[in-house]
Amino acid sequence: MDFVVQLTINSIIAGSIYTLMALGFNLTYGATKFFNLAHGVMATIAGYTVFYFSSQPLYISIPAGIFAAGLVGYVLDRTIYSPLRKRKASNMVLLVASLGVFTALESLIALKFSSQHQSLPEIFASVPTFNLFGGSFTAIHLLIVASAAVCALGLHALLKYTLFGKAINAVSDDEEVSKIVGINTNRLMGQVFFVGSAIAGVAGILVGFDTVIIPIMGMPLLLKGIIAAIIGGLGSLWGGVLGAFLLGFVENFGIWHISGEWKDVIAFGLLILFLIFRPQGILKKS
Amino acid sequence: MSLKTKNLEKHFDGVHAVDHLSIEIKPGVITGILGPNGSGKTTLINVISGIHPIDGGEIAIGSQTFSSIKRHEVPDFDITRTFQNVRVFEQMTVMDNLLVILSSRSVLTSLRQRATPKQLDRAQEVLKKVGLWEKRNSLASKLSYGQRKLLEVGRVLAMDKKINLFDEPFAGMFPEMVKRVSGILQNLKQCGKTIVLIEHNMQLIRELCDYVIVMDAGKLLAQGEPEKVLAQKNVIEAYLGE
Ligand SMILES: Nc1ncnc2c1ncn2[C@@H]1O[C@H](COP(=O)(O)OP(=O)(O)OP(=O)(O)O)[C@@H](O)[C@H]1O
Ligand SMILES: [Mg+2]
Repeated sequence: MDFVVQLTINSIIAGSIYTLMALGFNLTYGATKFFNLAHGVMATIAGYTVFYFSSQPLYISIPAGIFAAGLVGYVLDRTIYSPLRKRKASNMVLLVASLGVFTALESLIALKFSSQHQSLPEIFASVPTFNLFGGSFTAIHLLIVASAAVCALGLHALLKYTLFGKAINAVSDDEEVSKIVGINTNRLMGQVFFVGSAIAGVAGILVGFDTVIIPIMGMPLLLKGIIAAIIGGLGSLWGGVLGAFLLGFVENFGIWHISGEWKDVIAFGLLILFLIFRPQGILKKS
Repeated sequence: MSLKTKNLEKHFDGVHAVDHLSIEIKPGVITGILGPNGSGKTTLINVISGIHPIDGGEIAIGSQTFSSIKRHEVPDFDITRTFQNVRVFEQMTVMDNLLVILSSRSVLTSLRQRATPKQLDRAQEVLKKVGLWEKRNSLASKLSYGQRKLLEVGRVLAMDKKINLFDEPFAGMFPEMVKRVSGILQNLKQCGKTIVLIEHNMQLIRELCDYVIVMDAGKLLAQGEPEKVLAQKNVIEAYLGE
């Protein structure tokens, strides 16, 4: 019984991290319609920015990390994706370019900080582990779940209630018409990349606090985020959240009687099942 | 503001959708463009509004001449349009479809939840004109086809540009909607706007247009006053030969 509680807690934590990755991925996918693989390295950048500012208090280093991820996302759009889009590059070309960006940035981080893992400063040093119905979790885990909730609700509010969000919806819906009616789609894309990348940054920092940071941390985060986005329904905010938690639960309960190494097999198995039987995802966004 | 094309060309893999077309569209009148299906009417305004790049020739807007028009430049060139197969923002409410155009686009001001009172007033005025005020909070995807067409007309009004291109705005509308939109077109005309109306219904053409341009296979077939042009033998043949 305790085991079930613990698995449930683990699933929720994993689902929250995947939510954070899927939110930003879906946001940029919705607006640009291409698979931005560099999204994964935004998490790494944020984690390493916090590490770089280790000597500073956390209320400086954490916002700096989130901002750095957002800024890199913005700059990538301005300098690479936007010029490619102007030249009518296909989404496949953009995907390959983003893979290149991912690899290059990951290597740069490894060059600067070594490819070994590092620890971020202690965040909740004095807070003990919580116990709930026989399962346990830490304050960081609580922060992960809270951050996912805040980011999902915040993004929802941004999209639904602000004119900025309305413009993003318009561009996601019909970019051609958006341009013709005078929405500055290019500038908007840059801002979308900022927001999406910043949310990925939040995920990277939290993972760093929970475990360690390592230059190759971006890929597993990216892949889980993408799986969550696909099984939830590409481009759909709440679909991504649903997909993330479904993935978290299936992954954690799937390894109940077997070794943890099977997690990824289960995750990709789930993805393949969806691609075959429900390629449009749980919440279809037509 | 006048709109001219000079030897304008657009082809799709050997199909000359617009073939060395030179026409002039004057402000303050409604210019009808007609021609059989596939004669290149929609392609013409797609080229003018930057949807398709120009393959040859030029477009003159006012006193300036262009050999390429990009989509995002279209509003700056004082051009707005509707689409033959309606293209509104389906996942947004009727109101938001207009506010997203009316609102200023700077990040900080656009983070506000509400549009300014002026923008809201303007949206209300436009929605009342096109008869969609009651529907302001419905998602555009929930509207009937005719209502979505009305919303597109509303978008044209909200944009308030000098050159207004309408691609079969009446198709799929009920008679009272047709009346409403006819009135709107005549109103725009009185304001001195440049208006292009692509339309198949000859009665509406006669009623609304001051001048007509007939296209056939991408070329100019005839132009002039509606009564005269519609009586021309080659025009009648082009339509019968469809
Ligand atoms: N995007 C496109 N790709 C390929 N061919 C096209 C495209 N758009 C138009 N065409 C072709 O160009 C020609 C002109 O089409 P267009 O839609 O401009 O005609 P139209 O006069 O608007 O006809 P209708 O009265 O049916 O709306 C047709 O042969 C059409 O098949
Ligand atoms: Mg047409």
